[in-house]
Amino acid sequence: MPEIDTKQAPQSGLSGIIKEAINSPLLVPLLAILTAMVVGGVIIAMVGGNPFAAYLGLAQGAFGSFKALSETAVWASPYIFAGLAVALAFKGGLFNIGAEGQLALGAVTSAWVGYALPDMLGITLPPILHISLTIGAGILAGALWAAIPGALKAYTGGHEVINTIMMNYIALNMVSFLLNGPMKDRTPGNVIARTPEIAESARIPIIFEGLRVHWGFVLALFIAFLAWWLLWKTTVGFEIRTVGMNPDAAKYAGINVKRTIVLTMALSGLLAGMAGAIEVTGLNYRHELGFSIGYGFDAIAIALLGKTHPLGVVLAAILFAGMRNGGTRMQFLTQIPVDIISVIQALILLFVAADAIIRYIYRIKVEEERVTLTRGWGG
Amino acid sequence: MLKKLYLVLALVMVAALLLPACAPAAPDCASADVFCVGLVTDVGKIDDKSFNQSTWEGVQQAKEEGVADQVQYIETTDAKDYDKNIATFADANYDVIVTVGFALGEASNAAAAKYPEVDFIGVDQFVEWPFDDDASNDLANFAGLNFPEDNAGFLVGALAAMMSESGKIGSVCGTDAVPPVWRFGEGYRAGAAYIDPAVEVTVVYHSDVGFDKTFTDPEWGAATANSMIDKGVDVIFGAGGKTGNGAVTAAAQRGVYAIGVDTDQYLTLPEAAPRLLSSAMKLLTPGTFDLIKLSKEGSFPSGNYYGSAGYAPFHDLENEVPAEVKTKMEEINAGLLDGSITTGVPPVKPE
Repeated sequence: MPEIDTKQAPQSGLSGIIKEAINSPLLVPLLAILTAMVVGGVIIAMVGGNPFAAYLGLAQGAFGSFKALSETAVWASPYIFAGLAVALAFKGGLFNIGAEGQLALGAVTSAWVGYALPDMLGITLPPILHISLTIGAGILAGALWAAIPGALKAYTGGHEVINTIMMNYIALNMVSFLLNGPMKDRTPGNVIARTPEIAESARIPIIFEGLRVHWGFVLALFIAFLAWWLLWKTTVGFEIRTVGMNPDAAKYAGINVKRTIVLTMALSGLLAGMAGAIEVTGLNYRHELGFSIGYGFDAIAIALLGKTHPLGVVLAAILFAGMRNGGTRMQFLTQIPVDIISVIQALILLFVAADAIIRYIYRIKVEEERVTLTRGWGG
Repeated sequence: MLKKLYLVLALVMVAALLLPACAPAAPDCASADVFCVGLVTDVGKIDDKSFNQSTWEGVQQAKEEGVADQVQYIETTDAKDYDKNIATFADANYDVIVTVGFALGEASNAAAAKYPEVDFIGVDQFVEWPFDDDASNDLANFAGLNFPEDNAGFLVGALAAMMSESGKIGSVCGTDAVPPVWRFGEGYRAGAAYIDPAVEVTVVYHSDVGFDKTFTDPEWGAATANSMIDKGVDVIFGAGGKTGNGAVTAAAQRGVYAIGVDTDQYLTLPEAAPRLLSSAMKLLTPGTFDLIKLSKEGSFPSGNYYGSAGYAPFHDLENEVPAEVKTKMEEINAGLLDGSITTGVPPVKPE
């Protein structure tokens, strides 16, 4: 990971390794997870459960078999995209709370291209083209939707936190309207607010026969790499990060700050839209109102836990995916409510966000550079 | 710092060693002697004081009465997990899987086809295949547990019409896209008209939001009930999970008559109990229990199985309900049961 300080000569021996581990940016998140699990375990014990049995069930359900790993990857795919979306915005100094709405809009748009396009054109599209168009439509919808609060921020100073929250309501209600009205599946007997199934040619193939994990997961890993490359290896990425750290300095250095803000939001929305599109094309083959609830908000926790770094986001997304997936088996084996998963996830977020608590408990000195997330209202 | 870290690491290792020892010893459902029943909820909680809870009580009753040896539930948190959650039970060789709620219908039918040795009970899942000529769709191991909700709605609609002083009664429901909810609302309307066509009935469905929200919006339920009461409505029937509960509670707080749904909500909504006139009941618990018992006995019915509807006792308001109203209610209930009274409500809302 590029954040590790490589200039410092590595010390030899065990103490050197430990020192290096302590200075690693992974330390606080790992301790946050550990602490949250311990506190969560205490809560489980308090409600009369056995925390060890619960965590064993959780681990089994998340990583204990091929099927479990497949389901964890299924959960991780949208989480990686959505987590990257929020993380990329953070890098540009913007807090995108609107991933939830961008994701839903991306899902419904790509579902539409998935089921309606072949009928409209009257031809069967080759899968590679149809899949690309379907995902493309979803990411375009997400990007455009997120560009609006970006433009409001850049040109009027309207704060993106407020505007993305507001636009979540607009997006979610719009999707609800579409699924209940013009885009509703008209199959006789259907009363569920959902779109028709997308065409076979618009579906991302599964990787292993009999398991639900699809190539969208591999795509997610690739996009994470691409996001890292964009942020650290390209001029655009440099501009995004510079604006994120200090817009005044960026302006002085000749960077078009306004354009960069709009671009950052659009890229963020693009990734969120992709999270929705991947759920439609890879897993659900349609969009329905009960799908993908809260992923945009989980994504904020994932981005923070991953320290807004693409590799960190991938790891955090797999962790959260494993918890959401393994929760079922935990409940099945121990009858401990799945809500405990949300409690643990919230605790992780709390400990990562308020890392002073972790630093105090484990007596860690501040050595790493603090991550600048967003600027205040004046910025 | 390092010492603390080592301590934590040591604790984790000890915990890891203890793990296998703590794994619960569950009965082996694969054995022919062990009868296991699993329940999968819709996106909702097992203790919702309504639908999931009453069905789960039926499952628990099966255990208490020795029909089932092992019972377990899984709460669904995302619609994409329906298949996975059902498969969790099926892969563990459960004998009966109960899926609660209309939205699980497709997943349950698909699972019934995939696991022919498991009996599936789909609560509120009306299936079409018994009526078509294509036998290839038929599933011998699936029973949709349905209820004549319109009868239950009709009963409390008649009661509301008789008890109202202003001549205005109201109902706050979940989405009318779910046929049972629609039948409750329309049955209520029909029941009121049966008593007196002049009674003004307002039925509002929460169809403006998605399935994820329509049954879990008590604030909307309360606000809608309050605006009805402001317009002179003095009996409110709430039908639709927590949304309906919000309306019932709001009505009780304003001092007007409240009517609950699905179960006897006098027992589950204590905050509304003092003003709770009755509840339009789907007898979920006995319906679920009966089907589990039939499965155990090897005479599991396939297709649509009908449970019973009814109305709950008046409890605290026993003395406020005049004797002639009680007599009339018994007459109507008897009439609905023997078919001499019909609600005129079709099974599904016409397009």
